[in-house]
Amino acid sequence: MAPRLLQNFNGGRAHIVTASPSAVEALLATLGKLGVSASIVELVNGRAGIDLAALQADRDILFVDGDLDNPLALDIDAGARQPAVPVIGLVGVEAPSRLKQLVHLGATAFLRKPVQGGAVYTALFLGINQFLLRGDLRARLDDMDRRRRGRRAVVKAIIARMTDAGVDDDEAYEWLRRESMRSRQNLEDYCDAFMKKRAPAFEQPGNEPLRGVARK
Amino acid sequence: MSRHYRIGVMFSTTGPYSVVPRSMLNGALLAVREALPGLTVEPVVVNPGGDLAAYAALSRELLQSGIRHVVGCYTSSSRKEVIPCFEKHDALLWYPSHYEGFESSNNVIYTGASPNQHVLPLVDHMLAHVGPRAFCIGSNYIWAWENTRIFREAMTARGARVLAERYVAVGDTEIDQVVDAILEARPSFVFNNLIGTSNYAFFRAFRAACNARGIDQPRTFPVVSCTLSEPELEEIGEGAVEGHLSSSVYFSSLATPANRAFTRAYREAFPEGPSTSADAEASYIAMKLLMLALAEAGTDDVEAVKAAVTRQHLLAPQGEVRIDPQTLHAYLTPRIGISNGDARFDILVEAAGPVPPDPYLVQSSPRYAVASRNSTLRVVK
Repeated sequence: MAPRLLQNFNGGRAHIVTASPSAVEALLATLGKLGVSASIVELVNGRAGIDLAALQADRDILFVDGDLDNPLALDIDAGARQPAVPVIGLVGVEAPSRLKQLVHLGATAFLRKPVQGGAVYTALFLGINQFLLRGDLRARLDDMDRRRRGRRAVVKAIIARMTDAGVDDDEAYEWLRRESMRSRQNLEDYCDAFMKKRAPAFEQPGNEPLRGVARK
Repeated sequence: MSRHYRIGVMFSTTGPYSVVPRSMLNGALLAVREALPGLTVEPVVVNPGGDLAAYAALSRELLQSGIRHVVGCYTSSSRKEVIPCFEKHDALLWYPSHYEGFESSNNVIYTGASPNQHVLPLVDHMLAHVGPRAFCIGSNYIWAWENTRIFREAMTARGARVLAERYVAVGDTEIDQVVDAILEARPSFVFNNLIGTSNYAFFRAFRAACNARGIDQPRTFPVVSCTLSEPELEEIGEGAVEGHLSSSVYFSSLATPANRAFTRAYREAFPEGPSTSADAEASYIAMKLLMLALAEAGTDDVEAVKAAVTRQHLLAPQGEVRIDPQTLHAYLTPRIGISNGDARFDILVEAAGPVPPDPYLVQSSPRYAVASRNSTLRVVK
């Protein structure tokens, strides 16, 4: 299920990374109308003086000026370009190199400089909700990856259960699924634990290793 | 030395929704007649005739002639059409009508009600006194779409339901299908966002259909609106006029000295009508505030007038009104009235005093959009 839409930004905190305060006057005024507190982040030797680790995804929003040369060291997930908090780009020079930097920061919406008040609600709405959507998709991908990695254990466990109980693969799978739910584990983790628990028994003399079963 | 300013006044006094704008024009002109010492205002009146394209062209003409302030627009679509023009010319639109919110242009002063001042009080009243199942109808444009969206989310958040939403084109008077759908759905009440001739046709057709079935419409299927005003009750006409609820910040029946003086002066100035309405009062307030701000600023410079208007406290017909400096929207007093056979409203409930505007509902709505449990919503036109 897609994440719910965020439409009321009251209580949010905007951190604006720019060297052009005059270009964001309307942004500051409009954020106030929307219940979002806003501050311009001080730049020290071209770097934003902000504690990125202290930012909270459900409250903080970063507005980053694309005209600055790499002002933030955001810990971005390289595959998904998903920053820890929503990033909205401030576009001045409309050149590929500047825009690329904002894309790499994970910006999900953009505002042209100087900012017009009428564009701010749309940028917040798109920026934050796209951030939430991307986070949801990232979580789904991670889950799919985890399940893909656990697939080998599931196959092994089905075959082992077929051997142990003399049942077909459907029944073996159903049993494993039921037991995983009963133990409040996902299927992949349960199968992995099941095989680890079962392994010592096969090391006893007289027991066939699992691969012997697989060859049948 | 008396200062003289030309002020634009732009209302569609002809076309499919002209009744209320004619009362708005009267309200603005009445304020002009109540001159302030040292200030004369010359209204330059234009009529877009309900044609959306004409609004921007007329606005441009007014502003290019040197006018810096225009009192005008009734529909939200017309307001949104002209805002870019006012921003480009750095002029000020004084918008005097209730609307759906989610806007706050630095080039607009909003003297009509915001959604927290009309639709949210209505939801609370209907759930407390009528019932939890609503059927929504409206004219097919931004006002009805957004106002219904706010209404639906407020209802859902309170555990109530919207049974269906139906929209008809502005000016469309073939309304029987909508009436049949309401009678079939049997809601607790109807939430109505129709405007103009569609609105009057609906009230007449719905009452007639209920009468034909022996249904007491106001008691069985009450209709509630955020737009319904006295001139519109007169348009609906005898036999279908009483028993309708309206959520508004002004009714002409308000028993305050300021309102008595306002309605008497209005009647004397415009004996041919239409009657006073909430939007006429909002237009009167807009022009009064503009004149007070011009007088205080001593110039029609937009920034100076904007700063001056936020310092004004106007004892308006509805009560005290002032402009919020942050949002440029008005503090207004919400009320709910029920129409009577004289095409006027009896006031049922009212707020204790002026309520701050909350155009983005940042103080009055949940953080996340409330998902509707209704799977039967559909647009038919």
